[in-house]
Amino acid sequence: MSQQASVSPICSPLPAFEVRQLSFRYDSVRSRPSGDRSAWVINGMELTVREGEILGVIGPNGSGKSSLLKLLTKLVRPQEGTIRLFGAELGALSRESISRQVAYMPQDLSYDFPFSALDMVLMGRFPYRRGGLWNLVGWEGQEDLAAAEEAMVQTDVTHLANRMIAILSAGERQRVLLARALAQVPRVLMLDEPTAHLDLNHQLDVCRILQRVHEQLQVTVLLVSHDINLASQYCDRILIMKQGAVVCIGPPQDVIHPRVLTEVYGCQVLVDAHPDTGLPRVSLPGQDRHQTVAVSGMV
Amino acid sequence: MIVQPSSSQTTVSNPPMMAPPVPSRRYEGTASWQALRARRWYAVMGLMILLTCGAVVFCLQFGAHALTMAELWSALTFSTDGREDVARIIIWDIRFPRILMGLFVGAALAITGAALQALVRNPLADPYVLGISSGAALGATIGLALGLGAIVGGLGLPLFAFIGGGLSIVLVYGIAASQGQLPMHKLLLAGVIVNAVCSALMMFATSILNPASLYRVVLWLMGTLSVPSIPALIGIGFCLLIAIVLLLRESQALNLLAVGEDAARSLGVESDRVQRTVFLVSAVLTGAVVSVSGMIGFVGMVVPHLVRILCGADHRLLLPVSALGGGILLMVADTVARTVVAPAEIPVGVITALIGGPFFIYLLMTRKYRFFA
Repeated sequence: MSQQASVSPICSPLPAFEVRQLSFRYDSVRSRPSGDRSAWVINGMELTVREGEILGVIGPNGSGKSSLLKLLTKLVRPQEGTIRLFGAELGALSRESISRQVAYMPQDLSYDFPFSALDMVLMGRFPYRRGGLWNLVGWEGQEDLAAAEEAMVQTDVTHLANRMIAILSAGERQRVLLARALAQVPRVLMLDEPTAHLDLNHQLDVCRILQRVHEQLQVTVLLVSHDINLASQYCDRILIMKQGAVVCIGPPQDVIHPRVLTEVYGCQVLVDAHPDTGLPRVSLPGQDRHQTVAVSGMV
Repeated sequence: MIVQPSSSQTTVSNPPMMAPPVPSRRYEGTASWQALRARRWYAVMGLMILLTCGAVVFCLQFGAHALTMAELWSALTFSTDGREDVARIIIWDIRFPRILMGLFVGAALAITGAALQALVRNPLADPYVLGISSGAALGATIGLALGLGAIVGGLGLPLFAFIGGGLSIVLVYGIAASQGQLPMHKLLLAGVIVNAVCSALMMFATSILNPASLYRVVLWLMGTLSVPSIPALIGIGFCLLIAIVLLLRESQALNLLAVGEDAARSLGVESDRVQRTVFLVSAVLTGAVVSVSGMIGFVGMVVPHLVRILCGADHRLLLPVSALGGGILLMVADTVARTVVAPAEIPVGVITALIGGPFFIYLLMTRKYRFFA
């Protein structure tokens, strides 16, 4: 199974994202000495996201994973460096044209308002809205509903269409949000912790849907996750980040290595092979084994 | 196609199979979605317009002097058949302008309340949360204190109130805005602060007022509708029309913002522009309304909640239905206010608070409504 990841993804003349010398920080404190780079959330990052791949982004808390996604969707603007989306300078693209190409599924949304699941999915059609005098409020047309329906079929939530989003289970809600992202008909799908707070069953659901969508629609997927095992199973390549920079990037077999993980996370971990797939699997050491790192079954 | 979580061996990482075609099968339910949504929109709006017309007729009929249906009909159709047309004067010169003003004020309060609740993602938001009303009240009080209430032919008090409201809009915006953005938490805080400062100044002003002026200020603060001047009526109607158009244009953006700002921006919502537009439209409309009617509580807060329960949260439906609902509520409340102790009147703000307060408590205690979760 190990050769699966080494199969090169669909070659495209232009990468989905090309990131050069990217640096970003939230505040613009000028009092810091210019040499001090500790305030930078992203620090001189270089990255190429190939079209059609599933790229998993892992790293400790505060390593800049979520900030990277926000930079790539132009929710925040970098102080230094360039980002190219399919060859076009991201900063020069309008918000609308970005949102027709990139769908971003954030971690925290507010479910206080009584929107139905269908309302929610149709929000994904906002980039394609048509205004005009006779459609002041911007009702969706037939093609918007068709796209929403297609997306809801993909994530298997058609039966929930008229239910309130607030009363859905966490797993169902996540699938509705995924449908909303797919209704955008994106070329790149960005997911911030899509399986957080889900039980095993729903984690599996979301991952399988994601894999199916990826195969059928040939969409590029960027997946931020704390779950290294999940990333290892489902991603073509994995990017490990620390302090706003790339530690390493490559197929799971190459980068999920106990030495790398120990260095990045600052704790010792065990890596063995997944019994089904042979892909690397990570566990925390047992209580009496803090001093000895066992490496077994590495592919 | 449907994912079946199985307890057997996982097949997750099998070699990639040939990509099957995207399912083209239409689900039965979804084909009717569009028809259903369109039908619902027309049904609800039609019903609300009918209700509004019914409420107008009801309010025309009742008051200090209740009219018979025959009198009402002949006055409405101008067929006075020789009788002294007291009814016509009552209806066209006294009741109709006042009812229309009630409709406008109620609609303005409810639609701004609905928009602001989405904008600041706070169920307790109402048109007064922005601090505009206190500024207007302060302006009115100062006008009375200076004895200028009667200048410009009766328009003096509304004029001072409007100037006060306008100044507080500038103040709130100036405090909250930073680097071209309008952070919502700062906006709320700025509103609260301006409210507090203006209230304190108003307390000071009222403490040095003479009793006659003081009575007018108190009455004004309680919220009253009176027979409006025609320019005031036209002015409010015009403001309301512009505001409805501008807010409806942003209604889908408000839907997205109500769910999450980052997500909305990633979907192409220019959140800065939308937030600024909704704030300014709401603030100006509130200022205009407060200057003619004083502070009428609860309409702007309760009506949007009620409409959300009945029609869902989609602002494309919520905003116009709230406007009509607010108009109906205020018209009827005003009719009650000028009827129950006729020939005297109760301030309409007292009636709306007496309806709105218990209703809000009921909403809070029945946990079915998620906005309070």
